[in-house]
Amino acid sequence: MILTGEEIKKQVKKGNIIIKPFNRKNITTNSYDLTLGEDYLVYTDKILDPAKENKYKIRKIPKNGLLLKKGDFILGHSKDIIGSKKFVPLIHAKSGIARLGLFVHITADIIDIGSIGNTTFQLYATRDIRLYSGMLIGQVSFWVPKGKIILYNGKYQNSLGPKASQIHKDFKEKMKFIS
Amino acid sequence: MILTGSEIEKEIKKSNITITPFNKNQVNPNSYNYRIDSRIIDFSKNKIKKIKIPKTGFVLKPHQIYLANTYEILGSDKYAMSLIGRSSLGRLGLFLQVSANLGHTGSKHSWTLELVSAKPLRIYPYMIIGQISFWNNKGRIIHYKRSYSKYNKPKQSKIRRLR
Repeated sequence: MILTGEEIKKQVKKGNIIIKPFNRKNITTNSYDLTLGEDYLVYTDKILDPAKENKYKIRKIPKNGLLLKKGDFILGHSKDIIGSKKFVPLIHAKSGIARLGLFVHITADIIDIGSIGNTTFQLYATRDIRLYSGMLIGQVSFWVPKGKIILYNGKYQNSLGPKASQIHKDFKEKMKFIS
Repeated sequence: MILTGSEIEKEIKKSNITITPFNKNQVNPNSYNYRIDSRIIDFSKNKIKKIKIPKTGFVLKPHQIYLANTYEILGSDKYAMSLIGRSSLGRLGLFLQVSANLGHTGSKHSWTLELVSAKPLRIYPYMIIGQISFWNNKGRIIHYKRSYSKYNKPKQSKIRRLR
């Protein structure tokens, strides 16, 4: 089951959903609209490698917008702090953004239950597109889980701003099973 | 409704979900992390080229599609599934599945993976590469027993040109 906008509002009041700052105007029929924050992250290594830390720079989106060229990939973030200890959030683009050829996440739309923070957008442009800080870019929906809830307490908890991949931290550990 | 990690474990014990081999460490709060197998298919030049991923890794070229398969047998006769990437690799620009993430109830096999990377990215054999979630059905279930569900190796598209 997916929550309606009205139910999201109710659950925010009860503290079962965290959306900060909360703006009533951003409620839609089945989701809440997310705003693009000011910072973005670009990797500087030529080849990305999950087995090691990948270098990056953090920059600010200029006032007159940031031009993403076709094929560009950067990490952005939601201005909003979002999460829930009771529902499973899913991230989507706003259809108006997707219609311009921009991906806002790269096939990992599920947020773990209990994960709270700015969500990191994985921005991938299929054609040239200009992005502005403060624009509505994505949306989050909330889904009812079945079963005992064990809350997320992982590498990305309490993220603020765009958060680079932390996969290298336990990569060797997770490969041990095979050798 | 989406199953929590502990519910996925329960349903494996009851044989309502199949994950083989199963590793408790790969359970997430509301999904299970799967691994890539050791082979990959490059068909960018309209020819099928099978590549064994070396231990030292294989670098995916950006904006190009590759096929691979999951190391695990994944499926369920009771739940519908969504097989997607994971945030740690999405943050490195790796698409897992090209917008067809839905797994039909009744399919149970090693899944074909569609990989597209936004940047040159090194991948390793048997690394954890994505996650699968399980969703409650509403309505009578007629099990999926068609075309791709019998394949355990990366399988290229069977779509033919309409005449």
